[in-house]
Amino acid sequence: MMEFLDQLWSFNLDRETVYGLFQQSLVFIIGMTAILASLGVILCASPIYSALYLIGNMVCLAMLFLLFNAEFLAVVQVVVYAGAVMILFLFIIALLGSKEEKRELSFQNFTALSFVGLLFGELLMSMMVGETKPVLGQVTPEVVQQVGSAKAIGIELFSNHIVPFELASLLLLVAAVGIISLAKFSYKPLRKRTRT
Amino acid sequence: MGSEFVLFISAAIFSIGSVGFVIRKNPLVMFMSVELMLNAVNFLLIGYSSFLNSLDGQIFALIIMTVAAAEVVVGLAIILTIFRTRHELDVDRINTLKG
Repeated sequence: MMEFLDQLWSFNLDRETVYGLFQQSLVFIIGMTAILASLGVILCASPIYSALYLIGNMVCLAMLFLLFNAEFLAVVQVVVYAGAVMILFLFIIALLGSKEEKRELSFQNFTALSFVGLLFGELLMSMMVGETKPVLGQVTPEVVQQVGSAKAIGIELFSNHIVPFELASLLLLVAAVGIISLAKFSYKPLRKRTRT
Repeated sequence: MGSEFVLFISAAIFSIGSVGFVIRKNPLVMFMSVELMLNAVNFLLIGYSSFLNSLDGQIFALIIMTVAAAEVVVGLAIILTIFRTRHELDVDRINTLKG
């Protein structure tokens, strides 16, 4: 740490070190903002505030995608998630009305919280494993910068991963058919039916 | 720093999402928590695809986004249908299928 401060005072840093430090501090700040926004999602009593915090979380994650050389997915995240999906959520909230819910800590909640705490501890233990021997791929950031992120993903998607892509389109078709059947053949309200 | 911090952010957001799925009673907020968990996994995949010089993680993240969009649309339609038939949205009281 002291060496680093000495280097910093004497301005002996080369360009790569400064860029690396800048990127790491950006990842730290934006990641902490994402974690705080996700805490806001689950702690707000009203669903409309939860939706707004979720939009903030998704925008933070899109910025993190940009920092990890995934420009195309950052754009997709903003357009699809923070745009389409959240607009859908807000429409449903506006349709159903947002009612604040009371909060109590029951025994079941305590059990569930301790279970999730255990899960988080296990995930942190996976963080402590340290250096493993990774299998590096061929697509370095320089290659991606030459052809562009969207084109690189397109080449990869249509050459090696064509079957999952087609299955995803099939999935979207099934979802659309399911929505239409849910909306068309809806049931009458319960209070109008005869009670048995 | 580096891959450990990506793991930490992803694990934290995933755990917060699962806590929200468990303790909340509004099904809309439960769906938002599921979105949080899916986003955490997406971030982990993209971070590691950057560390390992491979695009497979980004393809996976793209397909996860497709699945999440389809899942959200179907889930919200189901919530809307439940609200139309029962006029309430408390998941503890929707227990007709409980054995």
